[in-house]
Amino acid sequence: MTAASSHARHLAEASRLANEIRLSVEQVSYAHSANPGQAPLFTLEATSFQARPGEIVAILGPNASGKSTLLRLISGALAPLSGRILLDGFVTHSLTPRTRAQRIAVVQQESTLLFPARAWEFVLQGRHSHGRSLRFESEDDVLIAKNALAQVGAADLSDRWMDQISGGEKQRIILARALAQQPLLLLLDEPTLHLDIAAQVGLLDALRRLAAENRYTVVVVTHELNLAAEYADQIVLMQRGRCLRVGPPSSIYQRELLEQVFQTPLSVELGSSGRPRVTVLSGTQ
Amino acid sequence: MRPLTLRRLLLQCLILIVILFFVVIVALKFGAVPVSLYALGRDLLRVIFGQSSQISTDYGLIILNIRLPRILLGIIVGASLSVAGTSFQALLRNPLADPFVLGVSSGASLGAILALIAEPHLALSPVFSALLTPLGAFLGAAATIAAVYFLGRHEGQIDSTTLLLGGVITGSFLSAIIMFLMSTLTGSLRGITFWLMGDLSTPLQKSVYWFLGIGFFVAAGAIYTTASDLNLLLAGEKEAMHLGVDVPRVRLVVYIAASFLTGLAVSVSGVVGYVGLIVPHIMRFIFGSDHRTLLPTAAIGGAIAVVVADTLARTVVAPTEVPVGAVTAVIGAPLFIYLLRKRLT
Amino acid sequence: MKGFSRPLLRSAVFVAVAASLSCAGLTPAQSAPAISSASPAFREVTDETGRAVRVPQPVNRIVSLAPSLTETVYALGLQDRLVGDTVYCDYPADAQKKTKVGDTINPSLEQIAVLHPDLVLVTKGLNHLETVQSLENLGISSYATDPHSVNEISSSTRKLADILGAPEAGASVAREMERHLADLQKRLAASPSKRVLFVVWHQPLISVGKHTFIADALRLAGAISIVDSEQDWPHVSLEEIARLQPDFLVFAASHSESVPSTVEALAILPSWGMLEAVNNRRYAVISDAVNRPAPRIISAIEDLARQLHPDAFAEKPESGKGKMEKEITPRNQASFAQSFFLLAGLRKDSANCGGRVCAR
Repeated sequence: MTAASSHARHLAEASRLANEIRLSVEQVSYAHSANPGQAPLFTLEATSFQARPGEIVAILGPNASGKSTLLRLISGALAPLSGRILLDGFVTHSLTPRTRAQRIAVVQQESTLLFPARAWEFVLQGRHSHGRSLRFESEDDVLIAKNALAQVGAADLSDRWMDQISGGEKQRIILARALAQQPLLLLLDEPTLHLDIAAQVGLLDALRRLAAENRYTVVVVTHELNLAAEYADQIVLMQRGRCLRVGPPSSIYQRELLEQVFQTPLSVELGSSGRPRVTVLSGTQ
Repeated sequence: MRPLTLRRLLLQCLILIVILFFVVIVALKFGAVPVSLYALGRDLLRVIFGQSSQISTDYGLIILNIRLPRILLGIIVGASLSVAGTSFQALLRNPLADPFVLGVSSGASLGAILALIAEPHLALSPVFSALLTPLGAFLGAAATIAAVYFLGRHEGQIDSTTLLLGGVITGSFLSAIIMFLMSTLTGSLRGITFWLMGDLSTPLQKSVYWFLGIGFFVAAGAIYTTASDLNLLLAGEKEAMHLGVDVPRVRLVVYIAASFLTGLAVSVSGVVGYVGLIVPHIMRFIFGSDHRTLLPTAAIGGAIAVVVADTLARTVVAPTEVPVGAVTAVIGAPLFIYLLRKRLT
Repeated sequence: MKGFSRPLLRSAVFVAVAASLSCAGLTPAQSAPAISSASPAFREVTDETGRAVRVPQPVNRIVSLAPSLTETVYALGLQDRLVGDTVYCDYPADAQKKTKVGDTINPSLEQIAVLHPDLVLVTKGLNHLETVQSLENLGISSYATDPHSVNEISSSTRKLADILGAPEAGASVAREMERHLADLQKRLAASPSKRVLFVVWHQPLISVGKHTFIADALRLAGAISIVDSEQDWPHVSLEEIARLQPDFLVFAASHSESVPSTVEALAILPSWGMLEAVNNRRYAVISDAVNRPAPRIISAIEDLARQLHPDAFAEKPESGKGKMEKEITPRNQASFAQSFFLLAGLRKDSANCGGRVCAR
């Protein structure tokens, strides 16, 4: 292990013990400019929030509200127009792709492999950012990959070909690859989109468990009101590129606010789990 | 779960090298002139022990001066084309990519043709004029690499789709120029047809062989340092970036190195087709898609393929010779169809 | 560097061993006078392309890489010294029995080397510089001819004979050629030249340029090629030919039987039908000797002269055409192909390969 990564680990330990802020998004904005001569089109206006280890943050909003842009900024794929994003004190965008991948893991919705691979090969790819760039995987790497598969409950799928796995099981393997990166931050963009209900619940349960056990910070982009309410510790409510409110579900799930954002009549109640539950009222007022 | 280890990789390469060794021995034995294995062995030993002056037989000189340089060239060309093909398949995320898809071969051919046209008008020493065609081809290749690079950029980085489009269009454009020149200048360009079909009989000096060898190892080595990155790149570009791959840098290194290898091969041997397309697929079929194994095994496999093809080209209708590119096409196309069908079942 | 250089290192070792073998092997050839028979005497000459050639003396073993040169060697009576020729060398019949070293474009270096030639004969219009360079690397000298007129064929033959050590034979063959030509000129002096189109190939239409020996041969046969081109094998447009309206078409064919049917096929086409010569079936067929810059070209010239100007030869009743046919063998088909083989090959290649020159 290099000096830099062990240093990062110490910081992570320290922040966990002191319950300090791990992820800090500070006044971050982004603009898309198709034409150099034209005025920039703001897809995201100045947004801020913070997250701690073990927390699940949901970025919630309707389509085209800037959620994905915000996630991509956090992942370091885009550079913010203004503001900055700090992860344990490091500005994410200024890190090299390799060091970034040691800290931040993005869980894709789908995987597009050009040539066939087995599940364990796929998960092992998560170890790429650790160690030297050209090398063979060590015993440790293999162990971590096995562990990751076990953590998502997919240890028995390890020898299957990726193109023979589908749906919820595939999503778990993809998650396992992200876990193999041993990140501090897990990012997911609409992970429940292609999953059936059982798979959706399974995934989010797993995320909650993993965040608690391994002290990950999880940021999920979603438009599913009830899933967000049920699983998120903190919600960032977005509409048309603006962040309207940041807070726990109880402060976000106000009927007037949600109706304004989602442009549809609905009712908010308290669910049996103690979290808010939203019911969409159809058609008539 | 059996991840790749260094030992397994070396074992696989060793097996292939042994096969290559036997192929070379067979290639040395067979040709328009029959040579006995005993004479072959005896002369090779004499050379190794520095007694080359004692090789008085014609056969010894035939083997060393005609066949061995040609086999050596075949090894370098085969290895270069296979590594380039593997790299382009990864870079362009396209299993149909081959070393010539980005127009480098058309550029090299045009360079060679221009050299042939210019040659009578330049007063050159015999040594230099012998090198003019390979040199022209190499310069043509280099110019094409640069042109396609600039065409293939999108927002300052190489983009796979744009690169493919730019390369194919450039290749077509250059081919059109070549056709124009060939139809209007039929007198001076008679020599080009054979070369365009792949020809390992170009006479070259020792220094050129050294240049080829060093060039191959430098470029192939550069590509090999990105082998793990290529594995990830094939899972998707965004995924690769999020897994820690510096995608723009990897693309640039692989593009330049693989195009350089192609230019190297084409400038000394013309267009030898199918090797860069099929050998990577065969090696993938046998050894899997991990580029840490794929690149070296493809290199050795390509060397084997070209040496075998060249031996057939020399012996099938002896004493006439068939162009190497024709042999690789005749064997390669049905083989590709077979692989395709196997993959679909 | 653990996972990096070991497999490449092994390959490097192997290639290095092979390279050192070849380098060691390359050295003796470059230092020694190499494969030719041990004869210390040399003669420095300049061949017809301006290259300096060291010709071993005497020249006992010759390899010819062009059919015209093979014919010339036979014409000079030196066929016993000819140890190898190409697969296209078919005239005279005895030439087919010689050891074959391959074709003219890419002959087998091994075959040539094992024959121990003192001198290899090449011609610029047919053979490649690469072959000459490869032979030089092996220490084998090559002499190149490059005749562009019938006179040059004659002087080329003289020079070649001189180099091969048989100057009297060369002089006599050249004199015979010149005498024959002078005789022809006398006969044709009174007849105006016919305007002809020499058809190398009809689809696409390829003729000969004005700097070729074929054009010169036509002239000596009392014909003028209407194609005025700087290129040796120009593709000409049928429109231009129709505007010029040649008096005759001239075909050079080994199998003269196929020509009438070819012409019949062309006559049906509206484009070719524009030519009066095609409509009136005014064409001449001569042997493919006209394609070879060798002494036998004179017989083709005379043959053509007889067909174009029959009245100038009134005292000789039998047509020269019949004489030519005796010499035609099925193998000659190949030499017809050979003359424009590369041209046809060029056209076929570019036609078949679509967007790329000679695809994968």
